[in-house]
Amino acid sequence: MMFLLEIFQDGFFAAIAAVGFSAIAHPPRAAYKYCALIAAVGHGIRFMLMEYGMHIIAAAFAASLSVGMLAILFAPRVKCPPETFSFPSLLPMIPGIYAYRAVQALVLCLMQSEKVFFNHYLYLLAYNGLTATIIILGMVVGVTIPIFLFKRLSFSATKG
Amino acid sequence: MSGTCEHLKEAGHFLSGYAALLLGCGATCIRIEKNVGRMARSCGLTADLVILPADILLTVRRADDSHISYTCTTGVRKTSISFFLNTELSKLSWLVAEGKMNMREAAEQVRGIGTGKVTDSRVMLFLVAAANASFCRLFGGDGVAMSIVFVATLAGFLLKQCMLADGADVRLTTFLSAFFAAVAGSAGYVFGWGTTPELALGTSVLFLIPGIPYINSMSDLLDGHYLCSFCRFMYAAVQTVCISLGLCGALLLMNLRIL
Repeated sequence: MMFLLEIFQDGFFAAIAAVGFSAIAHPPRAAYKYCALIAAVGHGIRFMLMEYGMHIIAAAFAASLSVGMLAILFAPRVKCPPETFSFPSLLPMIPGIYAYRAVQALVLCLMQSEKVFFNHYLYLLAYNGLTATIIILGMVVGVTIPIFLFKRLSFSATKG
Repeated sequence: MSGTCEHLKEAGHFLSGYAALLLGCGATCIRIEKNVGRMARSCGLTADLVILPADILLTVRRADDSHISYTCTTGVRKTSISFFLNTELSKLSWLVAEGKMNMREAAEQVRGIGTGKVTDSRVMLFLVAAANASFCRLFGGDGVAMSIVFVATLAGFLLKQCMLADGADVRLTTFLSAFFAAVAGSAGYVFGWGTTPELALGTSVLFLIPGIPYINSMSDLLDGHYLCSFCRFMYAAVQTVCISLGLCGALLLMNLRIL
């Protein structure tokens, strides 16, 4: 029960994040609720997979695949391109903390004069930077694959 | 009229202007090609597009006689990323393709769409601040960290809106917004508020990450539009560097050494 509640909570905050971030990209008003729903499901899936022990990179890839599939499913209903839902729904999954730690390590790395400390921060920079980059790459490839797999469906969603 | 030089010229100008607008609002290259191609086919034409970072180079030919062609270039109309515009332009392409509208009417329609309604800037400010605070929660931040991120995002995004409205350079805007958001986001460290000040500081600048250009860049790469993909990636990378510099500046100013 507690686990279900945690998934629900994770999905709820992901939905708010998706709606807010999608606002920057000026979507049609009808698209907001689908952005929220798809982001909640996608983030919930990632949360669940990570709780079951899957690595964040694989979990983010699997979640972004589901985001891409759901976007293609809902796109004809609102007559929007699937990107309108899938791209903003992906934004709450961006590994911001890894990216932040990489930048922070870079600053601290440059401030060190001793080799031991310099190497330590360089390691943190490489670890966090690489992790963030590979997660983002996996997410983007995951969300784009369904658009290319179901080209016909993706590009006829706006048909009147 | 159909098939004459005038017709080709008119179609070429409309289609290249349409493609430039679609590229400017952040559509992927594959969508631009599909939309332009279906409109051209409906008029008995074929369209060859070269999508360059700042221009669209388009050649329209008669489908039954490829020697009769017209080539024109149009500069990309830089607008902010707009899925609304992308959606409306995609719908329009189907109306033309299905013969419900001719190109002249479509051109009129495009002018109308260009001034379409966008989300109110104050509503957007609130939504983005709430989104970033939720983002902080997703990383494990407590209520205090969420509040700090909310306020920091309000400050940073308001500055971004004001500077962009004044026509300031996008890179300078991103740098200063990140700097101010990160300084405000460091309140948890400075005043000893909450149990997750590092998450508040780290999340405070994330609303500036150019997520859509990164995703568009990868989509273009998968479709083989390497030049456009590289340009979009470089634009996003420069923005990310500006955010990093703003964050670094704030860390140095506040003398925060935490890892």
